[in-house]
Amino acid sequence: MDRHDTEDKKSAVVERKTPGDALGEMLRAPAAAPLVPTPLETLVPEARQQTPAVRQRATRPDARLHGLGQTKYIDDMYFPGMLYAKIKRAGIASARVLRVDTSEAEKMPGVIAVVTGRDVPCNSFGPSLKDQPVLAGERVFHAGDGVAAVAAVTEQIAAEALEKITVEYEPLTPVLDPLVSLGLETPGVHAPSPNIYGHKVIKKGDVEKGFAASHRIFEASYRTQMVEHVPLEPHCSIAMWDANGRVTIYTTLGRITLGRADLARTLAVPMSRIRIIATVVGGNFGGKNEITTEPVVALLAKKTGRPVKCTYTRPEEFISSTTRHPIVMDYKTGVTKEGRILARTIRLVLEGGAYCSWSETTLAKACILSPGPYDIENIHAEAFVVYTNKTMTGAMRGFGAPQVCFAYESHMDDIAKALDIDPLEIRLRNALREGSLSPTGQQLQSVVVRDTLLQAAQRFGWSGDGAAS
Amino acid sequence: MKRRGRGIACMWYPIGFTVSANPSAAVVKVNEDGTATLLTGTVETGQGSLTILAQIVAEELGIATDDVHVVSADTDTTPMDTGAIASRTTYVTGNAARLAAEKAKKILFEVAAPLLGVKPEHLEVGDHKIRIKGFPQRSLHIGDVAERARGVNGDPPIGSASFNPATAALDAETGQGKPFATYVYATQIAEVEVDDETGEVEVLRIAASHDCGTPINPMLVEGQVEGGISMGVGFALEEEILFDATGRQINPNLTNYIMPTSLDMPKVEVDIVDSYDPTGPFGAKGVGEPTCVPTAAAILNAIHDAVGVRVTSLPATAEKVYAALKAKRAQEGKRLGAGA
Repeated sequence: MDRHDTEDKKSAVVERKTPGDALGEMLRAPAAAPLVPTPLETLVPEARQQTPAVRQRATRPDARLHGLGQTKYIDDMYFPGMLYAKIKRAGIASARVLRVDTSEAEKMPGVIAVVTGRDVPCNSFGPSLKDQPVLAGERVFHAGDGVAAVAAVTEQIAAEALEKITVEYEPLTPVLDPLVSLGLETPGVHAPSPNIYGHKVIKKGDVEKGFAASHRIFEASYRTQMVEHVPLEPHCSIAMWDANGRVTIYTTLGRITLGRADLARTLAVPMSRIRIIATVVGGNFGGKNEITTEPVVALLAKKTGRPVKCTYTRPEEFISSTTRHPIVMDYKTGVTKEGRILARTIRLVLEGGAYCSWSETTLAKACILSPGPYDIENIHAEAFVVYTNKTMTGAMRGFGAPQVCFAYESHMDDIAKALDIDPLEIRLRNALREGSLSPTGQQLQSVVVRDTLLQAAQRFGWSGDGAAS
Repeated sequence: MKRRGRGIACMWYPIGFTVSANPSAAVVKVNEDGTATLLTGTVETGQGSLTILAQIVAEELGIATDDVHVVSADTDTTPMDTGAIASRTTYVTGNAARLAAEKAKKILFEVAAPLLGVKPEHLEVGDHKIRIKGFPQRSLHIGDVAERARGVNGDPPIGSASFNPATAALDAETGQGKPFATYVYATQIAEVEVDDETGEVEVLRIAASHDCGTPINPMLVEGQVEGGISMGVGFALEEEILFDATGRQINPNLTNYIMPTSLDMPKVEVDIVDSYDPTGPFGAKGVGEPTCVPTAAAILNAIHDAVGVRVTSLPATAEKVYAALKAKRAQEGKRLGAGA
């Protein structure tokens, strides 16, 4: 098909769509984009058809669907008889749950089922520590905890039903500061477990010797904030059971293998009876790495015998999904007159929020990466992660690296300025090289940090007078 | 007055999980017409990973990206995968996909070798053909070989494989060991404009040089870098979840939680550095997360360069930069006063 043909067909489609009675037709039509025939051949980009395939700027097959508005996200999915679920949030950071009364909600017309933490067969999960409940049991650990969930015939009725659920709490004093949590003996957020639930040490060489040999020693502290992934598409899942007791769950989850294991645990159902289908995910960035709504809709679907869907609201994305770890970072660095780093000590305190989630790997990555991409002989890095009664932190693009990079690179510039060395030059003098030993003593391969420094400097037009500015 | 400054930041970042196993498995089926199907348990989360995997399988089989259909993200039909996390898909799932394609290719070579009158080890793939190394005129179309493998030899060309990055446990006391199989490196340089009367910061330009090993698809690498920088700009200047004294969030909405829009994006210039990692599929490593790592550091260094204040806590909101400027002026005023 040549270009001329395609254009002819396009104009024919347009003509069909604009007859005299178009208005009446439009009013009767569903509020969805009309299906426009797609001229496949001319839209297929060259790079996708080239060999060899690697290094080609091949377009994504889903890009065309996105561009044409034809992608079906989970919010576009509907099943006959489907119910809508909403989750009641605690709204209190730390409390004992004395009583959950769902009777008024259950009486509402259109409400089909209500579940609480008592209905969850195994009410704990987590990628390493299993410290997170599906819905709160006897305790609330942060304000975003779910305490009950409703399935109703419309989202509005489900939302109204949440207002009819009354929860009686015995408020407890929340722990809100990571440094307070670090020093706290009792009461622990998850007593009797200690507040420090992860600890990592990296020791290389002899830092005292390194500091003793240093021309100057610099010290600085840095802090970062809690941020959200803010995917355009919120967390959502749909569950339905068949007559053989097998559950199918459509979900926005980015990790279905782990998701199935977590569902098998929380629902107490064999893995072979769980099918997870991940839908087209509208943004993840680490935030969709563990189950959220999935066990809740599975329980409500089991109880009602109907498909059940639950979509997080934007506030729920903030208060009930994971966030980025705030970190308090203390650096001490000894350098020669020429700016070579001889020794570096680092202390990191990561705020884990109410649950462990992906803290273990964030802690390890932050600690290992914290000295920076530099060849340093003497390193002592120590990192802690502590519970607080705040929104849980978890996996987020970079796993602690953006935080420590902010610290080690701010520190590097201050050192460069004090020694009157250009910021680019001091980095080149210290950068890891092929075969360098990492802070954990690993011999590194394909090390190109210097190449990136020089390439970016060339692209930017960096001239070596930075120290003076 | 608006003052300009520039700031540099470099970083390193590992591929895959810290020590712990994070395997991926894959299945590759070569169809009778020379196209192929890849089964993978990973999930496309918008980064283009399925296209990358299709390119890797296509490369191994000597066919085009468009010839590979990817089936993903269904626990009933696809093999297990640790998922879209830890910048691991290109490296770990990519290695599994390449190994699975290699196994399917071996079956095709066994079938093609007697037809071409050579041993299987003398064969190679390229341009949809199975051909003799050093003598490419002697070749068979991959589809004809696949059809023969199934219909004559009764050995359909299907390969399955798994891959797990090579790591070694860390010593509990010293943390010494090999936590990751490989690392990537990057530098970003930011140019900012700071209004020294209001503390407002505008990021004008970022030059970003990133290592990802072999770029399987340079366009998708550039997309990741641009997206990562937008997250980095928000982390540096605007985004922050705030809590009241009782531990409840006070800005859980997009009206009061400020994040960058397309209008706040600086001009981004992306370069991909020459690099090859022998342990990655066709030398590839990964790029997803590292793209947002050095951005905030580069911007904060640029603010310091522009107005001489060091903001040590993120985000560097206009209020915070203004307060730092005011404190600096008070300090300078005191010094002037003392001198007079």
